[in-house]
Amino acid sequence: MASFDEEKIMEMLRQDEASKRRAFEEIVRTYSEPLYWQIRHMVYSHDDANDMLQNTFIKAWMNIDSFQGYSKISTWLFRIAINETLTFLNRQKSMQSITLDDPEANLEERLEGDPYFDGNETEAQLQAAIATLPEKQRMVFNLKYYNEMKYEEMSELLGTSVGALKASYHIAVKKIEEYFKNTD
Amino acid sequence: MEKEEKQILERCGNRRPFTVPEGYFENLTGNIMAALPEHPVEKPTKVTFWTKTKVWAYMAASFVGLFFLINLAVNHTGRNQEAQMASIDSEVYSDEYIDSFFETAMIDEYTLYCSLTNTGNFNQL
Repeated sequence: MASFDEEKIMEMLRQDEASKRRAFEEIVRTYSEPLYWQIRHMVYSHDDANDMLQNTFIKAWMNIDSFQGYSKISTWLFRIAINETLTFLNRQKSMQSITLDDPEANLEERLEGDPYFDGNETEAQLQAAIATLPEKQRMVFNLKYYNEMKYEEMSELLGTSVGALKASYHIAVKKIEEYFKNTD
Repeated sequence: MEKEEKQILERCGNRRPFTVPEGYFENLTGNIMAALPEHPVEKPTKVTFWTKTKVWAYMAASFVGLFFLINLAVNHTGRNQEAQMASIDSEVYSDEYIDSFFETAMIDEYTLYCSLTNTGNFNQL
């Protein structure tokens, strides 16, 4: 990510179609993996995460001309990915409410049968505990716990104050601890 | 770090428990780029004479409409007032009254003329 020159990329994006495409390829190369992991922690399934990632970049590509560079490219992409993921989760939630499925109860079973999950029983339990959190709290918890992201950086990405993020993380940790107490 | 967070870390660690198919990240950029649709090129929009002048045309039309509305309202009110005045005048000063007034008032035409021009009422007749 160190070789990524944001200014040069922005300049290329304002040029002809071929330069624009080359610049976008550089953006995809730099941000696809971190975005993938962020999405994967929210949707759990590799296939869903892959679809969300594709949609994120397609949306970004279609709107690249309206990106003025007021925020960092990473922030812009991350926000598109968050919106895509939340839309997907809401759609999934409404589908599950129709089929009367309990997503949290099924998650541990689902993860055990997932060929792309290599965690042990405790790690599967942690994922099930995280799945009980509201979406935004889950996002904050994942960013802090797995990515060790600073609150200031998170604040820029999510557009929420540092104080609110700290409170959100604190509540998430308490809920997860409670989940473990109840399941032990 | 708070106590509860430490306990979760000790119990579960923060290793990512997910994997991806082999070679997924190596081919990811190529796959995403291949799936991108053609970028919509913004065509410059042709500015026609109508596009340039339509704002003025709309404004002119609304002014004309407004003028007719005001005109209609004023004429209607004026006509009502005239009709009202006419009915008042005919009620108060009927022809018979005026004729009998001149017969009994002992006033000649010259005095009447002077009286009307002095008071400014002559024009109203």
